[in-house]
Amino acid sequence: MAKILDGLKYTEDHEWISVEDGVATIGITDFAQSSLGDIVFVELPDEGESLEAGNSFGVVESIKSVSDLYTPVNGSILEKNTTIEDSPESLNEDAYGSWLIKVKLENEADIESLMDSTAYKEYCESNS
Amino acid sequence: MLKTSLYEEHLQLNAKLVDFAGWQMPIQYKNLKEEVLAVRNDVGVFDVSHMGEFFVRGPQAIDFVDYIVTNDIKNAQMGKAIYSPMCREDGTVIDDLIVYKLAESKVMICVNAANIDKDFDWMNSKTENFDCTLSNHSSDYSLLAIQGPNSFNTLKKLDLNHDLKDISYYSIDIKENGETPIIFARTGYTGEDGFEIFAPHDYIKNVWKQLIEIGVTPCGLGARDVLRLEVCYPLYGHELSDELTPLDSGLKWTVKLNKEDFIGKQVLADANAKYKLIKLTLDRGIPREGYTLANSQGQEIGRITSGTQSVILQKGIALALVDKNLHSSGEEILVNIRNKQYPANIVTKAFVSGGHK
Repeated sequence: MAKILDGLKYTEDHEWISVEDGVATIGITDFAQSSLGDIVFVELPDEGESLEAGNSFGVVESIKSVSDLYTPVNGSILEKNTTIEDSPESLNEDAYGSWLIKVKLENEADIESLMDSTAYKEYCESNS
Repeated sequence: MLKTSLYEEHLQLNAKLVDFAGWQMPIQYKNLKEEVLAVRNDVGVFDVSHMGEFFVRGPQAIDFVDYIVTNDIKNAQMGKAIYSPMCREDGTVIDDLIVYKLAESKVMICVNAANIDKDFDWMNSKTENFDCTLSNHSSDYSLLAIQGPNSFNTLKKLDLNHDLKDISYYSIDIKENGETPIIFARTGYTGEDGFEIFAPHDYIKNVWKQLIEIGVTPCGLGARDVLRLEVCYPLYGHELSDELTPLDSGLKWTVKLNKEDFIGKQVLADANAKYKLIKLTLDRGIPREGYTLANSQGQEIGRITSGTQSVILQKGIALALVDKNLHSSGEEILVNIRNKQYPANIVTKAFVSGGHK
């Protein structure tokens, strides 16, 4: 069973989001890394780029597959985790410890519609 | 959706199943990387029962097969397996297949699953001038590929009801079994030593269970694709297609123009390749099928036909078709990945040298 942490928000595309002081930190969930298998490449947007909710902001690639990363929020990139670009396998080792981007939120209310850990757990169970 | 005789076994092993040419096939079991490494370093087993088996029987069986494929079947030794494209009169490739010379009047042909009907109809339309009969035995056979340096030792541990011989690469060992002989062939599509066993379903189920029981790694089509790409074996639908000739796909060595006659000979004798099949590695980024290639002036010169991250090299590798008129060797090539250009290294040798002898 994939690990799900309390206190985070989750998307249907299997990303996790935590928010502090108007800044959202986004990563992929343990369920996502486990379904992808060995992650070998990550491409992230540069600082200053703007994000539109529902659009792709990057990709994660396993040996055989390419998957888009989708942002659930509007905002602009404050920082990307360059460590992950250099060692993408850390997503397999610790998905919640390996954030991908930090986003300055345009509207904090964007995250209210996202799932909490209980809802996400049910979502994973019905999708596996 | 079609299921192989090992479908239940795959479910038990929690395989990830995908639709492949109308079949529900295991693409991966536990971990793709471990499956690839098992084959390179030890032994792994693949269910490839979706592939097709045809038999040609009769006094002119060998003459017929020699006429419909480009490689030399007539002069190959009895008991050998021969890889060959099968072409139309215009030189385009209907399929690539393996011919097994079982006896003077008996030949088996193993074809790609997606092409079974297309191949059978084509072959059947060409038999009239030959004293032989063609039959499709695909539904009578299951097929296992046991691949890796420890394949032979592993098979020797099993109860096969047959004293398996240590035959040479691309040779066959037959266990008579009426209309459905059991064929052990030292073939495979991984670049490693290994065997393929063509046998009735119950026999294969029994061998599979014994292999899993002694801890042989079950491997899916995902690992198989990485393995064949690492050693640069072409795959129909990717490097080979209805629109390409064997010359376009770098398979000139399989076109034996000194043969008496074969379908496509006239065209292939005079034809020049339109494309060149090249091998690329990327220091950064992973090349995937369909990505386009550009030269340093930004002109599109070709496209990737197969690409992946190599498990052994731990970087992106690809086969690509480039237009011969737009590219001369030595020129820089860039791969377009999501609107960015990544420089590619052109290599001449296979990415990984398989261990088969």
